[in-house]
Amino acid sequence: MASKTALEELPGEVLMWILIVSEVLVFGAGLVVFLSVRITDPIGFANAQDMLDRTGAGINTIVLITSGLLAALAGRLRHAGARAQARLALVAAALLGVVFLWIKGAEFAAKAAQGIAWDTHAFFNFYFMLTGFHAAHVAAGVVLLLLVAWRDHVDNIEDASAFWHMVDLIWVLLFPVIYLLQ
Amino acid sequence: MTGRPLYIAWALLVALSLGSAALSGAGVWAQWPVAAGVAVMLLAWQKARIILAQYLGLSEAPRWRRGFDMGLTALCILMLGLYLAPLVV
Repeated sequence: MASKTALEELPGEVLMWILIVSEVLVFGAGLVVFLSVRITDPIGFANAQDMLDRTGAGINTIVLITSGLLAALAGRLRHAGARAQARLALVAAALLGVVFLWIKGAEFAAKAAQGIAWDTHAFFNFYFMLTGFHAAHVAAGVVLLLLVAWRDHVDNIEDASAFWHMVDLIWVLLFPVIYLLQ
Repeated sequence: MTGRPLYIAWALLVALSLGSAALSGAGVWAQWPVAAGVAVMLLAWQKARIILAQYLGLSEAPRWRRGFDMGLTALCILMLGLYLAPLVV
């Protein structure tokens, strides 16, 4: 039997992987610029960071990780022919995405109530831009998960799940840099 | 169908996330900012590797996994270096 080529070895669609790499590079560049600007004012950044809700963001990490598990399980269930269970897992994953957005929305609303906006400090410029852009990806992912729960072809579920795991991957890099590194 | 590797990955991700949460206390950072920063970035790096390997399926593609691991490691080292820069300058 001939061995697989590198491209054949890659799970899922190549285009999806190009998207994943591109998105990680974009967010990675944003985080690198954030940390570079922080060097000019570490105390100001630390004071601004103390105004964030670390508990809410930590809960959101667990929410996304669990949602990712459900999306991954949905693919396996669909492969095994358990369509109804796969659909249920996808809808549950999407609902957890909505929970993430609800917590994020509450966090943004709390900032607005405190009079904190994107131009309050350079820290908040990056905070709103990076977490807001990520939240937009979460919203898109929720729509995708619901779409493939409806049109549940195996390839559709694999692609939507890969997008969802990318959102998860970006969050586990974004969360510690924005919320935790003091 | 067995989802055992996925459940194990999920449990590890939750455990690593709880580890990050435990490090978020201000006292830790006031006393050991370098160690806390290194620990937080190590936990993030490991979580990202698990997502790539198990959720995104790179455990089935070892060559790609090594490539992604190298890129991810370079990004995490760069971010850690930038975090540590104000502490040593």
